[in-house]
Amino acid sequence: MIRKGLAVAWALLGTSLMLTGQERFRKIQPPPEPFQELRLPPIETSPLLENKLRVSVVTREKLPLMSLHLLFFDGESSSPVSAPGTATFAAHMLIRSTQLHSAPEIENMVDSIGGSLSVAVFEDFTIVAFYFLEDFLDQALDLLSQLLLQPNFTEKEIRSVKSLLSLDFLEMEKDPVFVANRHLIRMEFENHPYQNWGFPRDAVKNWNQKDLLDFFDRHYRPNNAHLILTGNTNLQNATRKVTHYLNTWRPRDFRATPFPPIPLPLKDKVCFIDVPLAKYCAISLGIQIPSALDLDPSALAIVSQVLGGTANSRLFMNLRESKAYANYAYSKIEFYKTGGLFSAWARVAPEHVYPSVQEILKEIRRIGKEPIAPSEIDQARSYLIGNFPIFIERYDDFSERISEITAFGWGSERWSKPYDLILLASPEKIFAAQKSLLQPSIIVIAGDKTTLMERLREFDSIDIYDSKGILQYTMGRERSPS
Amino acid sequence: MNKKIAAFCLTLFLGSTLLAAQTIDRFMFPVTTGKLKNGLSVILAEDDSLPVVTVAVAYRAGSIQDPSGKPGLAYLMENLMFRGSQDVPSREHFNFITRVGGMLNASTSEEMTIFYQTVPSNQLALVLWLESDRMRFLDLNEASFEQERKLLLDVVHQKRTSEPYAESQAIFDRMLYIDFPYSHPMLGTEEDIRNLTLEDVREFYATYYAPNNAVLCIAGNFNKPKASELVARYFETLPRGKDVNFAAEPFVYAKKQDIQSTEDPQALNPAAYMGFRVVPTAAKDLYTLKILDYLLMRGRSSRLPRRLLSPDNKIAYQLSGGIDQRGNRTAYQLFVIANNPYPYWINQCQNAIFSELEKLKSAFPPEEEIAKAKAMFKMDYLSQTATSSDRAIYLCREFFTLRNFLDLPLELGNHWKVTATDVVTIAHRYFNTDNSVILNVRTK
Repeated sequence: MIRKGLAVAWALLGTSLMLTGQERFRKIQPPPEPFQELRLPPIETSPLLENKLRVSVVTREKLPLMSLHLLFFDGESSSPVSAPGTATFAAHMLIRSTQLHSAPEIENMVDSIGGSLSVAVFEDFTIVAFYFLEDFLDQALDLLSQLLLQPNFTEKEIRSVKSLLSLDFLEMEKDPVFVANRHLIRMEFENHPYQNWGFPRDAVKNWNQKDLLDFFDRHYRPNNAHLILTGNTNLQNATRKVTHYLNTWRPRDFRATPFPPIPLPLKDKVCFIDVPLAKYCAISLGIQIPSALDLDPSALAIVSQVLGGTANSRLFMNLRESKAYANYAYSKIEFYKTGGLFSAWARVAPEHVYPSVQEILKEIRRIGKEPIAPSEIDQARSYLIGNFPIFIERYDDFSERISEITAFGWGSERWSKPYDLILLASPEKIFAAQKSLLQPSIIVIAGDKTTLMERLREFDSIDIYDSKGILQYTMGRERSPS
Repeated sequence: MNKKIAAFCLTLFLGSTLLAAQTIDRFMFPVTTGKLKNGLSVILAEDDSLPVVTVAVAYRAGSIQDPSGKPGLAYLMENLMFRGSQDVPSREHFNFITRVGGMLNASTSEEMTIFYQTVPSNQLALVLWLESDRMRFLDLNEASFEQERKLLLDVVHQKRTSEPYAESQAIFDRMLYIDFPYSHPMLGTEEDIRNLTLEDVREFYATYYAPNNAVLCIAGNFNKPKASELVARYFETLPRGKDVNFAAEPFVYAKKQDIQSTEDPQALNPAAYMGFRVVPTAAKDLYTLKILDYLLMRGRSSRLPRRLLSPDNKIAYQLSGGIDQRGNRTAYQLFVIANNPYPYWINQCQNAIFSELEKLKSAFPPEEEIAKAKAMFKMDYLSQTATSSDRAIYLCREFFTLRNFLDLPLELGNHWKVTATDVVTIAHRYFNTDNSVILNVRTK
């Protein structure tokens, strides 16, 4: 019996040794192949057309799909002070109907070319995004021309759009993440045109035909726009077709008012905004970086990546993996025409709101003061370089990236050589970017007041806002609401 | 490279391991398929436009394979696949992929469980290494099992206590599909999950997570001979698993309308589920049903959204549905939530739906409406292959769904041939009251 057992043991050992010898490759991570060069199709741009519209084409041949982005160089910050949100209102009115075709007819026309038509309004620019089957480029341009040249701004249509957008807002306002981000924008850009981007739902009531017509007449002009086509076409063909369909769209001279400098907070500020019945709590933190345009954008991207770019970054690892405070915690840098805003956000359980804010601030101070280890920088570079082509694989992200580069006038290198720029960010430039985060921050907490009130008392001072974003009182450790 | 030569190279590199490599011609992009000796099916789909590659591994291990009395097992197994294997520590799979800028995900459906990751193309070997390790050497231990089971219990509890209409969906599925494999909830109930054991998981893994029950797809930018060599290196020595009989049992539905009602304490407005069982008499039925689905439900201008959701006469708060295929069972399902808490409104919604279905039966849809439905279908069809991960998921799904994978290039054309007459015929065949299942959901 024993002898038989020994024999089996020897046989097993022999087999395992043989396997180990044969399959040692399973024990170690395989090395990567040499990195493959990224060759992106160039952005080819036409000279100004007769009506001063500019056309760009990026050729993509693999699938018979086409994307058309009509970019306007004005966004929510151009809305009138008395009627914030007018840019969003105008963009939705533009794609709704025309004098000849009702909203259902326009929807039918879009569906008939396998299309989707939407708008996105940012602080500094607006994108009308149109995706369709490539056989229907003529139909798409014809529809676009009708929308631009025969808009239908009747009171009935205005009421419909206001009602639809109001309902959308009502739905979004149930989400603490949306509420916290919107309130952060309002706080960060208080008394500045950028504040418009965080307009409240009540602003919808003030939208009117006069402001709409004025905004449309002033901003939706070919000399304030850039049309970008992505798909299986070339610049010559695209320019010919765009000229054919849009040549009667006339330019108009206007002078944009330069924006005042963004007011900077002098010290950290914490706000709470009520989201009744919310089951979790959202934290949004912002830091103004007025020098963002002077800093190396790739260095800023590396810093943000190290801090909160992915689930491997410091914020996520600390707040979720180590402390188990948060479902997630991330950060990013956003650029404006006059600067940048660093933001971090997290979704946390109500009982962890105070320590979560402390941990986020601790991580920001740490990255602001201590040089990042070379291995961490390499890791961030590796992620950014590896992820870029994955990110732009999708048609809408591909087109959006081109529109963003065009909107900010960043130049073709930002498109054609993204790897070089990331690799060239030196440790000195990265440290300069890190130090830019050592500014006072604004922190917004959004959640259900009834479940959070006791937790909020832990903050030294916190401004309490109601669900409409109106300041109710300031609460401190010494002071309590009456 | 010529496609035929490419197929030859694959065979050459894998030598005797790859059986019968075949190139699918006349498709939107080159696709080569083959099988290793251990039964692992391999699909290669090249596209050099960006330096990106996706590796997807799909197992025929969906919720249909949950053993009787063990709902939730397939889904739990999906999560355990990230808990470490012989050479990859727990949760490190995720870190390996994200460190190189990659993205990953997994999903379980009724028919399969699929794992996919997109990475820079120079990291193909990394993903093949990770996938092969967990295909053969998954570390199934008590601690991981307990942790994942607890997480799943939390998810199911959360769903049950806070998600309106979740419970009623489970009731409707039982009414419509009747048999356990097709009708039980994917995640299981809290009681089901508590009853699962580590032995159940080990048995499920040993049975279904084997090369002969899987398809490996590589889509994107790769060198075909090199990729073939790597596939052979990491997968060909994995032992074949036991053969599983997937032959679906024949079934007959009683031709009788089934109407029930239930109360959902979470629901704010009344709702209704409506289902029509589909037993295709020919493959063409499904192509026609797909175009009919676009005509009825897809896009903003299709018939049912226009009738129920139009801002001028919005009677429904939400409307969803479409074709639902679970193995050899097919149904056309609709779910509608009234725009108002009064019971009268849900009757309005149901009447509107039945009236639209009757209209479809009584008059041929205009040609331009059929053309519009086909244009929307084509856009969605092409979008399924827009990125390397879309493409890999699409190919794996079609591999398990199509009777003959080599028919892939015919799919778009088969839908294109559908006529208005076909649509009316199919509407008559399936949209009948004696073929319908309805569950009314009342508010508390």
